[in-house]
Amino acid sequence: MKKHLKVILLIISVTFFQTTTSYANEEVSVSGISYDEIYDPIEPINRAVLNFNFFIDDIAIRPIVKTYKFIAPEPVEKGVSNFFSNLKEPIRTVSFIFQGEFYKSFNSLGRFTINTFTSLGTFDLASKVGMEKNETDFGITLAKGGISSGPYIVIPIIGPSNLRDFSGDVIEYFVDPLSNNVPNREYVAIGNGLNERIEIDEQIDKVRDVSSDRYEMIKSIYYQNRNAQLEEEYIQNLPVPKIYID
Amino acid sequence: MKILFIILSVFFSFSATQASEVSIWFEKESNQFLEIISNNKGTENENFEKYKIFVKKNFATKSIAYGLIGEKIINNSSKIELSIYVDAFTDYLIKTIYKLANSNSSSSIILKDVDIKDDIYILKSEISYKKSSADLYWKVINTGSSFKIIDVIVENTSYFVTKKSEFNKILRKNKGSLSALVKEIKKI
Repeated sequence: MKKHLKVILLIISVTFFQTTTSYANEEVSVSGISYDEIYDPIEPINRAVLNFNFFIDDIAIRPIVKTYKFIAPEPVEKGVSNFFSNLKEPIRTVSFIFQGEFYKSFNSLGRFTINTFTSLGTFDLASKVGMEKNETDFGITLAKGGISSGPYIVIPIIGPSNLRDFSGDVIEYFVDPLSNNVPNREYVAIGNGLNERIEIDEQIDKVRDVSSDRYEMIKSIYYQNRNAQLEEEYIQNLPVPKIYID
Repeated sequence: MKILFIILSVFFSFSATQASEVSIWFEKESNQFLEIISNNKGTENENFEKYKIFVKKNFATKSIAYGLIGEKIINNSSKIELSIYVDAFTDYLIKTIYKLANSNSSSSIILKDVDIKDDIYILKSEISYKKSSADLYWKVINTGSSFKIIDVIVENTSYFVTKKSEFNKILRKNKGSLSALVKEIKKI
């Protein structure tokens, strides 16, 4: 546990250090969220990793995903997706406590209890009784604590992230009450990763189809989605073009 | 107090009228869009032409195109260069919408809410296909003679913001050359 604590402290200190430096090159928009210049100091490395990820995806992951989507009926796909989402409820419970969102924390715990005992998490009964799912993670917790995103990073196999969100993932790895108490957690992690890939399969196909620079497109989509989780009036505050009438 | 009440009621009735106008426009155009998506029995060229008419009629292409490159490049470019760019961008917009929509025929688009901020209507809708659905936001302006779309946001991803970062990258890589951008977007 002491070893774990050291790792967590190291990550937190590195991320805090980033707070003072990471926005140096960013052009901040009205809402305080930058879209034009996302801090990306290791872009050449990130691009190489993204190409590697697409290569691995093409030869190994994509065929599995496409076969699974072809074979599995929709209810099975939904059930598997619910199962993995349910496994994240305990860590959501903890994250919400750190964010001071006690009602949401209680809601996550309730959802986990109901869905696990009724269907092992494969059916989202809790939503049907009014306990809607609230997405969060430790990256969001760190952001709400005032820590900026830090540099953009593409992680081999896993995909787009930034220093703050990656730190959040590492913290989650150590503090997740569920994963720390199941045998062979690596298999759960692989299953979860594959499930997440399945869920964004259509989007990835579209990125391949309609992008003039897929690296920039993925980076932009990643930040937009993260910002949407952080900002209440996100849609209203997105930048819009100046109007030119023909 | 009376005057304040009158001003407020005039303001709200004016807003309500505008919101209902944009709702009517949205119902009409979204139904037409669904018809184009689902009626894809023609040749690829015929289907593409339908998208072309729809996009040219409903999107503020010049505003989006100019917004994507920014004031500095607009000021440094000639009228001819800008006109070539706007034409190339319009084709690009049609192609991307065609590719995005054509692979995903949807069964309904329901308008859920209309909000106004800084003279821009934010229309929240829900697009459904089979049992799945997604939130779809439209940012729309009133040009006086019609309503025009300036951005589409699907599940938190804005077309304008995403393309702006892509175009910025191409422009930076090519030292702000608009012709290099045109060449790049014509590849799609």
